Amino acid sequence: MKKEMKIDEFCRPGEQLAEIDPAEIIPLPPPYDRIEKAPIRKLAEEQRKRMDASLDGVVAIGLTPPASPEEEKAFIEKFLAGLEKLFSADDNWTFLQPLTHTLEYCVKCQICSDACPTYLASGRQDIYRPTMRPEILRRIIHTYVKKDHLLLRKFQGSDIDLNWQTLARLAELAYRCTLCRRCAQVCLLGCDNALVSREIRKVFSQQMGIAPKELHEKGSVQQLRVGSSTGMTPAALKNIMEFVEEEIEEKTGRKIKIPVDKKGADMLLIHNAGEFMAWPENLEAFAILLDAAGVDWTLSTEIAGYDSVNYGVWYDDIQFARVAIRQSMAAKSLGVRKISLGECGHAHKAGIVVADRVLTGDLNIPRESILPLLEEIVLRGRIKLDPSRNNFPVTLHDPCNMVRLMGIVAPQRRILKQICPQFREMEPHGVENYCCGGGSGFAITQSTNFPDWRSAVSGRMKMKQILTAFEDVPGPEVKKYLCAPCSNCKGQFRDMFEYYGVWEKSGILYGGLVELIVNAMTNLKKPFIQWEWH
Amino acid sequence: MGTLIIVLTYIAYVFIVVVYTVKVLAWLRMPPHIRWDLYPVIHEEHYRYGGSYYEQQEWWKKPRPKNTWRSLLYSLKDNFTMGEYYERNRLYWLFLFPWHIGFIFIITFHILCFFAAVAMYGGLDIGAVSAHLAGRVFYYVLLCTGGIAFIAGTFGSLGMPIIRLADRGLRTYAMPMNFFNYLFFFTVYGSGLLSWLVLDPNLDEYRTYWLGLITLTAPALHTMTLIHIILFDIFLIYLPFTRSTHYITRILAYYFIRWDDEPNLPGSDLERQIAGLLGRKVSWEGNHIPTGKSWAEAATERGFPEGKKEKP
Repeated sequence: MKKEMKIDEFCRPGEQLAEIDPAEIIPLPPPYDRIEKAPIRKLAEEQRKRMDASLDGVVAIGLTPPASPEEEKAFIEKFLAGLEKLFSADDNWTFLQPLTHTLEYCVKCQICSDACPTYLASGRQDIYRPTMRPEILRRIIHTYVKKDHLLLRKFQGSDIDLNWQTLARLAELAYRCTLCRRCAQVCLLGCDNALVSREIRKVFSQQMGIAPKELHEKGSVQQLRVGSSTGMTPAALKNIMEFVEEEIEEKTGRKIKIPVDKKGADMLLIHNAGEFMAWPENLEAFAILLDAAGVDWTLSTEIAGYDSVNYGVWYDDIQFARVAIRQSMAAKSLGVRKISLGECGHAHKAGIVVADRVLTGDLNIPRESILPLLEEIVLRGRIKLDPSRNNFPVTLHDPCNMVRLMGIVAPQRRILKQICPQFREMEPHGVENYCCGGGSGFAITQSTNFPDWRSAVSGRMKMKQILTAFEDVPGPEVKKYLCAPCSNCKGQFRDMFEYYGVWEKSGILYGGLVELIVNAMTNLKKPFIQWEWH
Repeated sequence: MGTLIIVLTYIAYVFIVVVYTVKVLAWLRMPPHIRWDLYPVIHEEHYRYGGSYYEQQEWWKKPRPKNTWRSLLYSLKDNFTMGEYYERNRLYWLFLFPWHIGFIFIITFHILCFFAAVAMYGGLDIGAVSAHLAGRVFYYVLLCTGGIAFIAGTFGSLGMPIIRLADRGLRTYAMPMNFFNYLFFFTVYGSGLLSWLVLDPNLDEYRTYWLGLITLTAPALHTMTLIHIILFDIFLIYLPFTRSTHYITRILAYYFIRWDDEPNLPGSDLERQIAGLLGRKVSWEGNHIPTGKSWAEAATERGFPEGKKEKP
């Protein structure tokens, strides 16, 4: 039985607060039930000296300890100044109301803990409770911002000793929540403890310039500078399109010219640029399908116009707004009627929903998901499909951003039921789904041992769900397909499947939705899905 | 003592109404925020599985039917049943439910007592054998609401500290104020229970008390009842200092945050409000942010993504 953690321990300098114990994390079905190695690599001594890992021995940010008491004091003061801005209607109108509501009205009843896949999968480590981050933040606010009297703080349990390590742990802890918002979904009081994780990230980024480099320097900054968070320039994009066209011809015998920068097209389709680099078959499938269905569409080569990601949605409002505006400007310059988002969950939520209250005037171009169009193509018979071509077990992963956070639940299911005879649901599914474990930027965060953590802990509940969905055909001899209509989720599945050896042990291939549709097209001579490319 | 009770009661009711109103208005006056909806959104057509209007092609051309009554009933129902707790932590619900029912019923009881006193002032006889049906109905309704309030509240106040200490998660986040509340609320409900069971089985004294309140006549009450009423008045004054406003703000949070799926359509009032908010100045100090400029400027200015230091 784990030692019970007291909140005050969070501020105690020195020792590591929690350790992931292989015997306590939730068990997986055979053959994944054998504990063969420590789930998370230990940091080297040199790394531990350089980066603070006193939360759980894992590093997403890895803050360097201050060199002097003066440096520590300056760090704390800057954080507190940022904290005040979090409650300013000028600096934080974007989230003031939901944040204030959560901090004032959460009664810490712990209902949300039992909904959190990270907390559950970790073997119920106290530090991962969704209430931990808000509680630390609340205490800092009462003690150092509102400066409540000591007696009142003792009475309300809101007293805290602030030091550099408390903030270093808090910064790391903000990156142990995938922002899947399952916790918020079950809260009877309308509180959203996941949002508090995001707002803590915001203070660190907008006030102190601290964020995982995959999100900021190599993420949103790079996207605004060169056009894509992958580093892909417009020239490189054109080369990739040529490659994709050749691949399509090789696979299908068809010559398809992918429309790029087509002025006045009906629809600008924006993909997550990760697809261009890691899963070009998704682009190929889109090109084949939209061509066959006669859709008037185009890609863009403008800055941010060919990369739908918007990492700002996870950590920084200003970066978020900048990317959203550049994406809309790309559509405006082409004169398209609407923007459609490809298979990427967070890009859906960011571009369609969150950007809705950032874009005004002529930048407020209508934006929609590609899924309803795919549904129409499949269900209205705009192309001929043969479901027997997909006669293998298929299950569906619901990307949190697309499903729980914006209510696109049915179109993908109607498609799969139409074209996949062996489709089966995971449990729970739809708006109650579990996160893939790579949400809120985790799937791209490669810092030290963080990838181990997201495979072993934050993604473990999803891993269990996937294996359970295929429990009637567990072995690798039956090839199975995990449909994940989200680039970020696919990135997590790629790493997690490798971590657990899923292809070798279970024969599960992950991929998008559109690949399954194209795989069922009757006029393709050979199957589109290539199992050997697992 | 009777006069003191009248004054204290009026102060208590005015105080709680004013402070609750101020708190709710402060909540409502916060600026519109970025959309942060969460599904299922109960007023949506496909709320049963959590579907939204985004499931349609070109959703901006389609009607977006909203069933406001359904969402209102849903949010009110949860105030009473606490179904999520029943599903997820039944032992906690076993104590939390009566604790809240005690609160809701004791407030309801006093409101009903007010109406009963008005009726009595108008000549209605209230009692088990009243000649009027309304008098008999009032009698039994008051007996039920008062009885449920005292029994449930006392049981809940006794059980809550036990579950808070027994449950690992609740214990971690327990604070002295929680236990003070349990003890204080126990004395409020317990004194009412004792007074009812020992001295006033028909709850006549509360009607006398309320008649005194509306006629500004000092009521003659038994000491035990007086103690309960004084404790209840202090309870009303204390409530705004607790998180009890959540009975109201949780519904606001549902409507204005979780279920707020109102799109920002071109030319709408919302778009005008957002344009105003984008004109506000930012004082964030991160290297990538032009401190002192407006949101609109910060979001559109070129050169800042790479940091102030690198700006030419």
